[in-house]
Amino acid sequence: MAVGILVAFAVLAFSAPLWYGISPLATDPAHVLGAPSFAHPMGTDDVGRDVFARFLAGARISLAVGLGVAVCAGVVGAGLGVLGGLGSGWVDTALSRLLDMVLAFPPLILAMAITVGLGVGLITACLGIVLSTIPYYARITRSDVLRVRSAGYVEAAVALGVPPRRVIRRHIVPHVVPTILVQAATTFSFAILSVAGLGFIGLGAQIPTPEWGTMVTEGSSLFISGHWWVSTFPGIGLLIATAAAAVAADRVRVLADPHATVRTTLA
Amino acid sequence: MIAFVARRLSLALISIVGASVIAFVILRVAPGDPARLVLGQFATPAQIAQFRRANGLDLNLAAQYWRFVSRFVTGDWGFSYGSGVPVRHLLISRLPATVELALTAFAWAAAAAVLLALACTYRTRPRLERSVNAVAFAGLAAPPFWLALLALLALSLKIGIFPGPDGQINARLAAFPHPTGFLLLDSLLAGRLDAFASVVSHLVLPAFVLGLGVWAYLYRLLRANLLEVANEPFLMVVESKGIGRWTTFWRHALPNAGLPTLTAAGLVLAWLLGGSVLVEAVFDWPGVGGLVVDAVGQKDYSIVQAFIVVSAATYVAVNFLVDLLYGVVDPRIRTAVNHGAQQ
Repeated sequence: MAVGILVAFAVLAFSAPLWYGISPLATDPAHVLGAPSFAHPMGTDDVGRDVFARFLAGARISLAVGLGVAVCAGVVGAGLGVLGGLGSGWVDTALSRLLDMVLAFPPLILAMAITVGLGVGLITACLGIVLSTIPYYARITRSDVLRVRSAGYVEAAVALGVPPRRVIRRHIVPHVVPTILVQAATTFSFAILSVAGLGFIGLGAQIPTPEWGTMVTEGSSLFISGHWWVSTFPGIGLLIATAAAAVAADRVRVLADPHATVRTTLA
Repeated sequence: MIAFVARRLSLALISIVGASVIAFVILRVAPGDPARLVLGQFATPAQIAQFRRANGLDLNLAAQYWRFVSRFVTGDWGFSYGSGVPVRHLLISRLPATVELALTAFAWAAAAAVLLALACTYRTRPRLERSVNAVAFAGLAAPPFWLALLALLALSLKIGIFPGPDGQINARLAAFPHPTGFLLLDSLLAGRLDAFASVVSHLVLPAFVLGLGVWAYLYRLLRANLLEVANEPFLMVVESKGIGRWTTFWRHALPNAGLPTLTAAGLVLAWLLGGSVLVEAVFDWPGVGGLVVDAVGQKDYSIVQAFIVVSAATYVAVNFLVDLLYGVVDPRIRTAVNHGAQQ
């Protein structure tokens, strides 16, 4: 169900140019700050841009950011994790120390720092979030690899003379995938929320990009004068997308761990 | 135990050094020449050269890093490009407001997490549990700055039960001494109930919004661990001895299930630090987060840099203390770390 919501969101958002004719950037001075209506289902903002068109464009950005960050950080982080888990002692130690340094930052603060350093913008914000989430993937993958590596069937495969590459590909990596998937769903949520947060404080996408966090900022001053729709709808979009990803992460966790479903209540 | 402490301490130190390098590099590569930012558009090249010399910007990178670190350690954190005020004064004067907000948020979040986990575990209450779980998901997923705006609109502007976004206290109230910097305490110490009421009503909304994510996180963690502990044989022993549910929960289940929650303190701190940056700006809260957001807007990167280093150091210190505490509380961890150092 959660995955269904995300897919529906993505389909609607990416097909929007086909069925919703209004541009997210077109201003219309004749219809400034219009309340939600048939012509503008989410109303218009202070320069007459259609909030629904911007909402859909924001969905494209947020979903792309979430997926992009989860995949990029996942590939690099899981790669480092496998390297650390299978590598010789000093490779593992060096990697762990390096990752510890990155982990010394609260993730959002690190993303902030990187964005400031590389120059403010949507791409650098994403890069900042990727770099701050890589260690979490790497750590979790590494400990999983260590667990799987000492399992009986891996030892058996090695003893049978299966070449190391094949052992890694066929016997170790598949067992680590569920863990990485859970982490990916969590990262997806975190990325969407962080990019919106960075956009909100002016470090992410810049006005007038229709990014959800930036849209909340744009609407925040209009809020006080009673024009609630400009900020509220992008926030709802954020809420639904992140909640769906969080629920999906929970589902994957339960599916991946057959023991997780067997539970009694406290005596 | 000494080996355990030493190992943890060295890890913490490496992390802090690494964090300082990263923070230093970030400020060096940040676009915009500090000399230009401070002296303005019309400074002559001679003035700029003079400024660069005075601030060590003409040294090589390693020397600059050493200068930065040695000064930072002695409390010289540079000065704000915009106002010229030393960064340390700015941060320290803003700190109490943030700490007060964060502690309040943490207090309600932790208390609510334990009580709701108890309510859902003490007896099977599927309906309560389903609704609490739904709220917890929403709490994790809702962007705090957006929630803050909604809460302000609904509860302050429309209904008017809470004051608008005007900081920590009604500015029209007569002043009172601030010996501790925490307005809740200070107003009580001065015997000013009107001020205390104003502080409380200003604190409710930001603390609620900031704590919601923390609550959701702690509740979900504690609940999952309680369910895991519920299957352990020692609880069956406790039950078969005829010990009541209440005692079973508080004395046997909670201490065992609560250990992972203790290690989560670092994550909670990260949440509060990040959240304070996003929430304080909305409520016009006179704390560190609001300061940093303003500094970002004005490209006043010395403030941002100091904030980054201080947050990283605090984060490492808290995680170090938690590791130690965990080792003290649970001897199994201590030996596991010592024997399995490579794991």
